[in-house]
Amino acid sequence: MSIFSQAFRPIGSNKMDPVLVALWIALILLALIWITPFVFIVFTSLKSNSTVMGSSAFSPPTELAFDNFVAAWKRGNFSTTAFNGVVITVIKVPLGLFISAMAAYALAKVPMRFGKVFFALCVFGTMLPFQVMLAPISRQVNAFGLINTYPGIILPYLAFGVPYQVFILHGFFAAVPKELSEAARIDGASHFTIFRRIFLPVSLPVLSALLILDFVATWNEFAMALVILQDPKMWTLPLGLMSFQSQFQSDYGELNAAIIMTVLPAAVVYLMFQRYFVAGLTTGAVKE
Amino acid sequence: MSQPRASLRPDLQGYILVAPALIVYLLFAFYPMLDVIRMSFVSWNGLSAESKFVGLANYRAVLTQDPVFWGALWNTVWWTALAVIVPNLISFGLALSLNQNIPGKSSLRVIFYLPVIIASIAVATIWKWMYDPFFGFFNSLLTSWHLDAWITDWLGDRNVALWSVFVAHVWQSVGFSMVLFLAGLQSVSTTLIEAARIDGAGRWGVFRYVTLPALKPTLTIVFVLSLINSLKAFDIVYGMTGGGPAQSTQMLAMWAYTQSMQLGDFGRGSAVTVILLLITLAIIVPYLRWMLHRPEAAR
Repeated sequence: MSIFSQAFRPIGSNKMDPVLVALWIALILLALIWITPFVFIVFTSLKSNSTVMGSSAFSPPTELAFDNFVAAWKRGNFSTTAFNGVVITVIKVPLGLFISAMAAYALAKVPMRFGKVFFALCVFGTMLPFQVMLAPISRQVNAFGLINTYPGIILPYLAFGVPYQVFILHGFFAAVPKELSEAARIDGASHFTIFRRIFLPVSLPVLSALLILDFVATWNEFAMALVILQDPKMWTLPLGLMSFQSQFQSDYGELNAAIIMTVLPAAVVYLMFQRYFVAGLTTGAVKE
Repeated sequence: MSQPRASLRPDLQGYILVAPALIVYLLFAFYPMLDVIRMSFVSWNGLSAESKFVGLANYRAVLTQDPVFWGALWNTVWWTALAVIVPNLISFGLALSLNQNIPGKSSLRVIFYLPVIIASIAVATIWKWMYDPFFGFFNSLLTSWHLDAWITDWLGDRNVALWSVFVAHVWQSVGFSMVLFLAGLQSVSTTLIEAARIDGAGRWGVFRYVTLPALKPTLTIVFVLSLINSLKAFDIVYGMTGGGPAQSTQMLAMWAYTQSMQLGDFGRGSAVTVILLLITLAIIVPYLRWMLHRPEAAR
């Protein structure tokens, strides 16, 4: 009972609050509903097709059919899609953060005639929904001859990732006290040096939060990849999963194994870095 | 490498720092937005070299002859209205509860947030399997409860398909707003709450006069973000129903895509996009003005 000894007591009160206990029970029930889909997916992924059709949907698998994972990995071309996902993510995420940080620093700390215009453009961009403009984006990528290439997908990803990151980092840099950079200016350091030596290091916590958020977003992105990466050899995991779903939708065990393999990397990253997730979502956005 | 450049004028240095981000943004995000406006006045099949200027013909066709457009518009409005209200009410309740002194808070938070980080297309696949008419979760549950009369083809029945997709969306999106609300709740001062308690305020009084006013900026942000997010609903619909059955789950974003990329009518697809962009702008612009004129943003 030791963990409970301090629980259920509202701020400034020493008594257990029955309302909080009821609330807690409701939360636990809701959480059970929330994880049901995951449990169902894991159970199905470990059943052979005949078990799926023959036994109750809720019974745990009796003989673990791990070969579903092996078969789904092969049939779903996971080695190709995972490789493409890694290449795109590993290039896009750090590169995007770096150019965003540069721009955010300049907009926050360098007096420029068009600074305000650029910043307004950037805030506008944070709200621009790219899902709406898939055709014109693919037209533009095509104009550069980059359909079915890594740069062809990375460049639009950068374009739509930059505004939000600039916005967040701008808020952060603007809050860094003037004195920190002023002294270096007087010593004759350029803005490039100040950015690299002073501002990049102090923003590491925000950068790592954005890095993880952006990793997951890039890894999971579907709509833009759908119109730009049309060659199966260039597909990323979400495209692979979509195709798997339409081709083998009655191979229930394998389909669910494919879902798990698609979802797992992002889930692991989240569970490892969950602190940063919350920080990344909320820096700047909610601060008043 | 910084020494020779130190002689550059400071504002030039600034422009150099802004340039890479700005150029890629203008080329691949801003230009396509302008391009789509131009395309909406043109007839083009996506392949041929020439395109023809047709004035407002695409808009006329979309608004008067397109059998799907109005249904898709209605679905988008329906979806947006529900997506702004339902998940956020749940998120708000969760955040308020998880902000109380109860055990296991962090595990509960992880559980509710986990669906957010899963690819929408995987969420769609998961729920499509849950809704499977023969072996899926829901119909198996109904069978085992002997409620066979309620068994439905969740994604195949045009009267329930959109609701079924929406339930999956709620499952996926509740955690996102919950985290924003939780962060906002951190800014509610506990001393103020204690003071209100001592002055005799009850649970409702504290909520109404201390918590709610402090959450006002968070509420605005959550409202706008979920509004924008629901206008761009694409992945989950594409993955679960593809707009069917009989276009009953079709949305504007996906209809624009279908027209341009699958039916090869870029003009009409662009007209749909422009209409959706205008709706989005009508929501963004007031918010932008608020954002840019907040005192601390003016720094």
